[in-house]
Amino acid sequence: MVRAVPGWVRIGAWIFVLLAALFLLAPLIVVMGVSVSEAQFIAFPPKGFSLRWYEKALNSPAYVDAFWLSLRLAALVTVSACILGGAAAIGLSRARRSGGVVETFFLSPLVLPSIIFAIGLLMVWSAIFGPTSFHALWLAHTVVALPYVIRTTLAVLAERDPHLEEAARTMGATRLQRLWFVTLPQCRPGLLAGAFFAFNISFDEAVLSLFLRNPNLVTLPVQIYGQLEFSPDPTVAAVSTLMILITVALMLILERMLGLTRFASG
Amino acid sequence: MSDLKLTNIGKSFGKVEVLHGIDLTIRSGEFVALLGASGCGKTTLLRIVAGLDSVGSGKVEIGGTDVTDLPPEKRDIAMMFQSYALLPHMSVAENVRFPLRMRRQGARSEQAARVKAALETVRLAHLAERMPRQLSGGQQQRVALARAIVSDPKVLLLDEPLSNLDARLREEMQVELIDIHRRIGLTTLFVTHDQDEALSLSDRVVLMNAGGIEQEAAPRDIYDAPATAYASSFLGAANLLPAEISGGQARLADGQTLAVPAGTGAGAATLALRQENIDIGPDGSLTATVVTRVYLGARHRYILDLAGQRISVLAPASVMLEPGSAVRIGIAPDRIRVLPA
Repeated sequence: MVRAVPGWVRIGAWIFVLLAALFLLAPLIVVMGVSVSEAQFIAFPPKGFSLRWYEKALNSPAYVDAFWLSLRLAALVTVSACILGGAAAIGLSRARRSGGVVETFFLSPLVLPSIIFAIGLLMVWSAIFGPTSFHALWLAHTVVALPYVIRTTLAVLAERDPHLEEAARTMGATRLQRLWFVTLPQCRPGLLAGAFFAFNISFDEAVLSLFLRNPNLVTLPVQIYGQLEFSPDPTVAAVSTLMILITVALMLILERMLGLTRFASG
Repeated sequence: MSDLKLTNIGKSFGKVEVLHGIDLTIRSGEFVALLGASGCGKTTLLRIVAGLDSVGSGKVEIGGTDVTDLPPEKRDIAMMFQSYALLPHMSVAENVRFPLRMRRQGARSEQAARVKAALETVRLAHLAERMPRQLSGGQQQRVALARAIVSDPKVLLLDEPLSNLDARLREEMQVELIDIHRRIGLTTLFVTHDQDEALSLSDRVVLMNAGGIEQEAAPRDIYDAPATAYASSFLGAANLLPAEISGGQARLADGQTLAVPAGTGAGAATLALRQENIDIGPDGSLTATVVTRVYLGARHRYILDLAGQRISVLAPASVMLEPGSAVRIGIAPDRIRVLPA
């Protein structure tokens, strides 16, 4: 007979879980609290209630420009990372011997310190193209987002029925038809999850964006960082709260889509 | 014309030779079973006909056209996989329409009509809008069959299609397969390791062994008149006994003799005795010792020691013999198959 877990252990485990959750959520609570404070300075607990910092943030050209830049960047990174990562995953899932080496290479941004990649990319870019540009940021973010798309897509491809593609061949499907009707639908849940990661990684990436910034190229995280450094006021908290809300909204949308995909593909 | 002709097919994976010298012709509309133990090359041969594996040597012709170098998508075939290989993100109807859609056969309305007809053939028309994962194994199997016949292929290839079903469903599907084949008459090549399936379904059984064809014959003939020791032991688990033939008598290793069919040539030979053809009773000419009794419900299987060798005998459940006891057994001469030693 399996002995039951003693009551005090269970209570202890619950306290541990609650503390861990609190530890994870506390910063978010502080930021959200500060964002609706009436006070001039960043202070917690908030004094009074006001949406003035939201108003200020939404009326600040610096924040609004940075937001649009980050959004445009994240959207393009999502697309490029999904195309490249999806193609890489499909290729890797079929590779036999040399696949492991190539996979490690593609996944190396996960372990390589991004500050080193940032310095290297800045030097190479400056030497070849001169001043940094939107394209430099796009490239940099795509590289760091790529491993996530590859991992999630490889994971779903590992579970597929290997006979599906052969079956499609016997039914007359050409190479392109097999890609479109068989392989890509199988990749779909992995690509969607990868897209979510890619968007978020680009949207809140700070290290690369900081190195590659120029006066016309300030992303939202860099703008927040700069603001904190030079003139901290609760606007920063308001913007951060908006970022959190966008992420949560994306997560909900994706959950719905993924949920529907699961429903459709079994 | 949709006959299938294989000429001198050979195939190796690396240094391992899996097929050699396969010559096989299947007439239009014929249902042929490729029977053999796992690893005998039967699945590889099927995949070669499909074009999924290339030949090492030899020629594949379908309907008089050499398709040896054509990829599967350009061959007019359909294949049903052991795993069914239904596309999980498509409904039953979309799965069945898939071959027509890929080959651009007919307008949409015509495709829909053919899908409906194929689903009616397998009695699944009412489930057309379901997703594959909402179906039972037997239903998925029938969707796969509908998908295989919808494009009216020249050759239908079935790779152990019934092996994933439980015993009762398998028997049902066997009857249904025979029925469907009789109605639509597709040239069919069917891979199985199950001798009962091969014997009950096919017009002709092709028994494979170690990458070659051991024997090919109609089910009755291959069962009653196996040409080799391997064929007789694979089909119906025959007992094989070495013997010395002279003057219409076979002398076993321990000196006991039994009558063999008249006109059997003298010399060393192997006797193939089917377990259901050996009679236990006082009239028998041979003496054996009971080793083990296995209760099978309707019958007993006895393992006997005859001339220093174990043989298997089926007896009615009413025959009760104790292990260790001596027993008389006999076998009618025309039930003995004499094979070369």
